[in-house]
Amino acid sequence: MRKINNFYKSLTLGISVVALGVVSCNKQIDLLPTDTIDPSKAFKTVKDINAGLLGAYNKLNYYSNVFYTSRITDEVMLPSENSTGSGVATYRWQYDGSFVHDAWPDNYIAIDRANRVLAVVDDIEAKPAEVVLKDQYKGELLAIRAYCHFELIRNFAEKYEAGKMGVPYMEVSEVGSPERLSFEAVMVKINADLVAAKALIPASFDDRTRITRNAVSAIQARVALYEKNWDNAITYASEAITAVALASRTDFPKIWKDQTNNEVLWKLKRVASDPETPLGNLYTQAGFLTNPAGSRIYYAASNELTNLFDQANDIRFSSYIIIDPQRKADGKIPNAVIKYTGGDAANPNRVDIKLFRSGEMYLIRSEAYAEKNDLVSAATSLNSLRRTRISGYVDQAFATKDALITALQTERFKELAFEGHRHYDLRRWNLPITRNPDDAVNALGAVLLTPDKAQYVFPIPNSELKANKNIKQNPGY
Amino acid sequence: MMTMTANAPSENPRGFPCRKLFFLTKLTAILLVCLCLQVHATGNAQEKINLKLRETTLKHLLNEVEKQTMYRFVYHTGTLPDDRKIDINVTNADLAQVLAKAFAGLPLNYRLQEDNLVVIFSTDKTSADKASPERKVSGKVTGANDTPLSGVSVLVSGTGIGTTTNASGDYSLQVPDDAKTLDFSLVGYLGQKISINDQLVINVTMQTTATSLGEVVVTGYTNYTRNKSASAAITVGSDKINDVPVATFDQALQGRVAGLTVSAVSGQPGTSSRVILRGIGSIGGNNNVLYVMDGVPIESDFFQSINPGDIESITVLKDASAKAIYGSRGSNGVIVITTKKGKAGKLSLEYRSQYGVSTLTSTKFDMMNSAQRKMFEEGIGQETGAEAGPFWTYSKLNPDYATMTAAQKQRADDITDSLLGVNTDWRDLFMRDGSFMEQQISASGGNQNIRFYTSLNYFDQQGVVKVSGMKRYTLKNNLDFSYGKFAANINLNIGYSNSTLIQNEGGSGGQNPLSAVYYALPYEYPYAPDGKLVTTGDGTLYPTLDLREGSDSYERMLNSSKKQDQLKSILGMSLSYTLAKGLVAKTRLGVDYRDLTSEDWINADSYAGTRVTPGRLGSFGESITRRTSLVSTSGLTYNNIFAEDHELEVTGLFEYLNNKTRAFGYTGYGLDSRLPQTPAAIGAPSTYTPTLTGRRTQNSMASWIGLLRYTYNDKYTLNASYRYDGSSTLPEVNRWHGFYSAGLSWEAKKESFLENVDAISNLRFRASYGTTASPFPGDFTYLPTYTQTSYGGVSAIAPAQPGNPNYDWEYGSELNIGFDLGLFKNRVRLTAEYYNRVTSNLFINQPLSATSGFGSLNISSGEMRNRGVEFDLQGDIIKTKDLVWTLGGNMAYNKNEVLDLGGANEFEFQYTGIIRVGLPYGAHYAPKWAGVNPDNGDPQYYTPDGQITTTYNAATLSVTDFGTYIPLITGGINTSLTWKDFSFNALFVFNAIVNRYNNEDYFNENPSFITSNQSTRLLYDRWQKPGDNSILPRINAPRNYTSRDIQDASYIRLRNINLGYNVPKSVIDKWKFINGIQINLQAQNLLTWTKWRGFDPENGNEYARFSYPAPRTYVVGLNVNF
Repeated sequence: MRKINNFYKSLTLGISVVALGVVSCNKQIDLLPTDTIDPSKAFKTVKDINAGLLGAYNKLNYYSNVFYTSRITDEVMLPSENSTGSGVATYRWQYDGSFVHDAWPDNYIAIDRANRVLAVVDDIEAKPAEVVLKDQYKGELLAIRAYCHFELIRNFAEKYEAGKMGVPYMEVSEVGSPERLSFEAVMVKINADLVAAKALIPASFDDRTRITRNAVSAIQARVALYEKNWDNAITYASEAITAVALASRTDFPKIWKDQTNNEVLWKLKRVASDPETPLGNLYTQAGFLTNPAGSRIYYAASNELTNLFDQANDIRFSSYIIIDPQRKADGKIPNAVIKYTGGDAANPNRVDIKLFRSGEMYLIRSEAYAEKNDLVSAATSLNSLRRTRISGYVDQAFATKDALITALQTERFKELAFEGHRHYDLRRWNLPITRNPDDAVNALGAVLLTPDKAQYVFPIPNSELKANKNIKQNPGY
Repeated sequence: MMTMTANAPSENPRGFPCRKLFFLTKLTAILLVCLCLQVHATGNAQEKINLKLRETTLKHLLNEVEKQTMYRFVYHTGTLPDDRKIDINVTNADLAQVLAKAFAGLPLNYRLQEDNLVVIFSTDKTSADKASPERKVSGKVTGANDTPLSGVSVLVSGTGIGTTTNASGDYSLQVPDDAKTLDFSLVGYLGQKISINDQLVINVTMQTTATSLGEVVVTGYTNYTRNKSASAAITVGSDKINDVPVATFDQALQGRVAGLTVSAVSGQPGTSSRVILRGIGSIGGNNNVLYVMDGVPIESDFFQSINPGDIESITVLKDASAKAIYGSRGSNGVIVITTKKGKAGKLSLEYRSQYGVSTLTSTKFDMMNSAQRKMFEEGIGQETGAEAGPFWTYSKLNPDYATMTAAQKQRADDITDSLLGVNTDWRDLFMRDGSFMEQQISASGGNQNIRFYTSLNYFDQQGVVKVSGMKRYTLKNNLDFSYGKFAANINLNIGYSNSTLIQNEGGSGGQNPLSAVYYALPYEYPYAPDGKLVTTGDGTLYPTLDLREGSDSYERMLNSSKKQDQLKSILGMSLSYTLAKGLVAKTRLGVDYRDLTSEDWINADSYAGTRVTPGRLGSFGESITRRTSLVSTSGLTYNNIFAEDHELEVTGLFEYLNNKTRAFGYTGYGLDSRLPQTPAAIGAPSTYTPTLTGRRTQNSMASWIGLLRYTYNDKYTLNASYRYDGSSTLPEVNRWHGFYSAGLSWEAKKESFLENVDAISNLRFRASYGTTASPFPGDFTYLPTYTQTSYGGVSAIAPAQPGNPNYDWEYGSELNIGFDLGLFKNRVRLTAEYYNRVTSNLFINQPLSATSGFGSLNISSGEMRNRGVEFDLQGDIIKTKDLVWTLGGNMAYNKNEVLDLGGANEFEFQYTGIIRVGLPYGAHYAPKWAGVNPDNGDPQYYTPDGQITTTYNAATLSVTDFGTYIPLITGGINTSLTWKDFSFNALFVFNAIVNRYNNEDYFNENPSFITSNQSTRLLYDRWQKPGDNSILPRINAPRNYTSRDIQDASYIRLRNINLGYNVPKSVIDKWKFINGIQINLQAQNLLTWTKWRGFDPENGNEYARFSYPAPRTYVVGLNVNF
């Protein structure tokens, strides 16, 4: 033993000490995440389907629709006191290359979330008590998919006409470079998903912060309106109207304070901890009503719109707009949009986002009747709505279709003001965007935008054009 | 210490080392005690020796004595007879007894010198070669300013005979008659070989290794002398780091190392710089340099709590032969930081004090004043009718004016006059001259067994923006322990820093004081005559005509705070034990721990507080992040010289690294204003829903490392390494990978044909090639995962990341060729390097069609190359006794090119860029600006084929003719002048061929923001009428991003000048206890030459957007040595 060379003895020892340390260390690099969920564990039960479905609801973004519709149209005017620069270029119908309408990415993300759950939903076993629930979730997922595609086509279709470019329709979650389908092809798929959804969602389900069967009817009615399928529009609007009545004049203001669900067919629930900018911040600083003279108005209600209302008798006016006397006296723009200022003093401007109301259904039905030249039924629907909204209203008769349509256009402007419809309505009617001179002080000349101009339709974001070689830009850009 | 008198060695050969291991643990405990006590031990061995050996050689006998005691034997080769076998059996004997027995009958004698050195010499006068007569050579070794250097090793060249200098730098040595030269060496100093000739007194002055020709290449795993290393490595010495008035050491490296680009991302005190070595190597992966402090890898971007004053030297490892040692972590370069260590000798105390002031660097500020603003608002009003402000509302030119009554007109005129009378320079409100102060006391000393360095530092720097600043307290303790074959080091660094930051830095919103400085209107003043700070919220009570944009921001700044408390502790412990001659076992454990607490507060009782929702009563948020990084490295090194000319060093190591992060945070609302800056103020959670966040994650890596160095004849060296790494961040199939490197170095000066060429004092060539890699950033990016989310307050799940099961490592390979040349006794020193670095399997964050549900997918596919040259030239222009003037400079040229993108041709990148095959990383991509049409004021753009168009389309017009934001050329110029007791140093840094996106212009020359203040160009240089040849188009034209916004950001900056004065010895000698006093004056960022229009060209980001400028700092300092 003694003859063993000291050197090798030591070397052996050194190596064995090191090796000892290694054995325990090798396993240490097999790590798994603690903060994220493995896809294999993501969906196992019906409860998980609901979690995935709510994940899709989470991404529904109506904020950008309201934002861009207001900015681009004659709903609002830009007061000098808005120094944020936010949306100012859109208001002046100027887009730079970095313009991204959030509706593009956000709706596709929501669709992807829905598609991922739809891909596994049929494989998940439901206990007998859960069978109905599972169907309902699947129905909601299909409806979300249809709804999001509809939002995309409203914003980005070249035109709402057969043969014009629509948007890609995603039915599975995948990485690819899909082409734009034609407008009508997209509408066929939307309708198919909605029909399937409606069959799955039970009538008893009445959570209006999610898609109920009545909400599907409402979506179908709106879709029919855009594809000018007047019969469907009448059928589905009537279904929705029958199920959910208009709110009374007493209840109407409460809709906007989230104090009633009357008249609401579907709304997106918002809570204090949500990261999204409160909807009311599009128009005024939070807490505007507590200190109008000491708050900024970012975008004021246009004089054009303000003057359309019977300000004394129309419950919609006082629910949507305030003309603040102090601000007027101070020489500031007084017309503030207060539709989304909310009822919670601690969390002003954050309110649920109302996506579908019966009021719109009356207008859809009326327009569909008018287009079918059934002026009497059309007038009935219109008068019913006005009568509910305007105190002392006397029913009107309309001699011609044109007169009725003109009245309907004005009524839609007032009823659905600041709810993200004006731009699409003008596009449906092929009407230019016009601004009154007193609403265009800071518009730097943006007073008339005709449908032949590129800016009349939102561009597909440049980032998409770069990433997807099969996508085509809207004309003129 | 008496435990070291070990028992007789056991018969069992395994018993002995085991007991030694036990001994190591005991010793650790003792070391820890020593750390606290700062024992100033003396080394005077009085040890008892037990030996029982048969038929042993004399050499082995002496080795056994060395193992048991602190004695070290030195003797001339051939002195000890190899053939003599001795039997010895002693118990509790002392050295004299043992050696008397051992040398019995032999012509040998010995002399016990200080530090337990035992010199054995032959007494055989007849043998010429074995018994050269000896003589005593003595002398003194000094460093800069004649300070004595202790612990310098003095060796007779080619022998083991030697000694070390004592505390006063003195040595004396018995030198054999045939000895020709003496080698003087000390870590951190240039080694010297001095001819003895007939001298009996040899005094030596040593230079620190601050130059590129430095002595030792410290890689963190090995220390090779530079002539035996094929690495392209540059060492920056403490003199360039310690006194510079900056909070983090990375800033002091700027301009010092060719190829190392250091740019201050922010001038906010305590912010780390962006450090890039030899160009950007990855697109979607990691571009961070690896920092290693005393062998422990430390986190980048968190240097606030490390005191630059404790740093002895910083070595930048640039080429693959050095980086590959770090395998998958070193692909972007390695910066090895060595902190100060105690030196044997008497206790040395140093006190350092600095006081100073920081001011705003650039006075370039071309925003409108009130009179200009009046012209502007009236101009816009006349052109478009837009109401840009009150100067138009109340203007005589406004059509409404004509309709006013006489009284109204008078009022309007009064308003205009009074507004013109206000001319606020918002810099005076938001900014200040910030004070600077630093105090440090350090002590070091020890003997050859225990050496310590301890320092305490207090650093306090106020930012140039009010409220911002940083305070730091650090404690550093380095303890080195060596005892015979055993050596240990305990290295403790504790830092606590307290930073106060501005809100929303780099944001374009009004909360950022640096954007408010631009936006705020000149005719606005925050205070009413009664002293009230008037905000928008005061409305009719304090009517104002301006927008209160500046005032709201100012009020917010005064009523909010953003603080970061950081506790950082870096602990390293290493043990090494010489198992046999040349064979050393090493183990090292390192911990880098960071505890960061961030706090955000907005006063409930302020206008800013009412803007917070929910609650409208301010907010208080706190988040705590703890990161623990643990590294353990163990292995063996064998080093020996065979047959005189063959020197071999082999190292085998195993390393394990683990990083754990845990974080938690909350933000509460509805504060009670009587309880400022505390969570206790948070309102009831049921009313004011707080938000909670938290996460934990970890990654780890295991590595086998093999290193080899072979040197032949001191001329030719081969460096080679192999490393096999496994990382938890990769999918199992690709988890392990091996990396290698090889390098050759040639000491050409030592060849016979150069030996006698006097002009060339040094010539060395090197070449290396190696592979490195980096794992994907992010701990589990390869997995497709889901994460928690919610809808309407109900929990939900959503996909978090797409994942990619095919992730592989990102590979790098690098070739480096270079040389060091010294001319005229090294008065001119040139180092040059060429490199070619290719990253393959490149991580790309490939943008996806939105239809996929994700914005991008990380793929590993693609190739990128960085290729360049680096020069470092230093010269001592004048070198006399009283006057020394040196001038030097370094420059690096790096050319980057994307070679392949894995199928894709290109994609848009970051803010304004494009990644395209054939173009460099960071290339700007924008429509080319074609000026303004003089007839109608339309903005014009070039189409890619050179036509002029007025239709803006970023997708079809964008081209790439505008360079990159990564500078092509970087460098520094340094000079120093020493005259008697005065010294002067200056450092210039420069960046050339670099373009950045000036996002400030985008906001300051933009019709969307005309109600806020704008640049004077929008007043004077915008198109107003046909025929105008203007820079900017008509006011109602769209403001599009074009090449006009991409601007030259080249600069040359006088980074630092330093004027020092050493109080002469004659003055100091009056105070016995003082060894030296130095007074210095410094200025940081004194001058900048640039065309850049923003605050600061330096900030290394792609775009400039209201970021915090680097300040100019003037400092006066005092150093006293006791």
